Amino acid sequence: MRSDDGSASLLTILLLPLMVLSLAAVIDLGALRLGAARARAAADLAALVAVNDQAEPSAGGALRLAPDAELVARQYFELNLAGSASFLAGNAAAIAQSADVAAFPAGGVDPLDGARYERPTVRIAASVPLRSGSLGTWIGSAVIVRAFAVAAAR
Amino acid sequence: MDEGAVTLESTLALTLLVPILFAVLQFGGALQRWSAQDAIAVQAARQAAELGGDSAELRLAIEQALRSSRIDPGGVTISVEPATVGWREPIRVRLRSEAQIAIPFLLTTSMPLSSSAIARGELAR
Repeated sequence: MRSDDGSASLLTILLLPLMVLSLAAVIDLGALRLGAARARAAADLAALVAVNDQAEPSAGGALRLAPDAELVARQYFELNLAGSASFLAGNAAAIAQSADVAAFPAGGVDPLDGARYERPTVRIAASVPLRSGSLGTWIGSAVIVRAFAVAAAR
Repeated sequence: MDEGAVTLESTLALTLLVPILFAVLQFGGALQRWSAQDAIAVQAARQAAELGGDSAELRLAIEQALRSSRIDPGGVTISVEPATVGWREPIRVRLRSEAQIAIPFLLTTSMPLSSSAIARGELAR
């Protein structure tokens, strides 16, 4: 005769830590995913803002970026990152300063990946450190996500 | 007869496990909603920059976007600062709402969800 006394309690005690860990993982991985999406959206928006501000077209009617396009892209990247400060494992200004921001004229070649841009383009490539929350015990206190945004003038 | 003991054990087990299961679902849902709200804020900031500030058209577009993401616009506070912008001036769109978290046997609370995006005025006045 086998006794099942206490089997449900035992199973609960064994499963409980696993369930609590699952809950922590859902919350922290969700927050990481949200933070990564915010970092990428900040880069996208900054590149669009910079590329939408164009200088007077050249004599031939060709589109030209404003002379301060890089500066504007970096500034708006920082402004938008600052709105997600609670997700960042670093200072928004420092992250924006360390970002690789470049403005290319039509026909410019990106030294980062060799891409050739047919139109005037602003490109942002940044490494954004995000807080890893309770997952930090296993994966370190910060997770680096890559934000890459390219916007072309139209 | 162990029937009573098994029922009691199962009840205790469910009392512990059900709240965790609900918490996973509720927090997951809230984060998904937050993500949708973030995307709407970015889109709204771009549109506000094109329109030169706050307008009925902008608010209607935000409300439609919220509805299509299954978020009740009535529960979302929309702010556009400043209300009017000129060319090359920054404009911020902020969306604030609260996600209700109801975990059986444990707690019922609300989680504040705040989204904001800053674009640059594109309208020459």
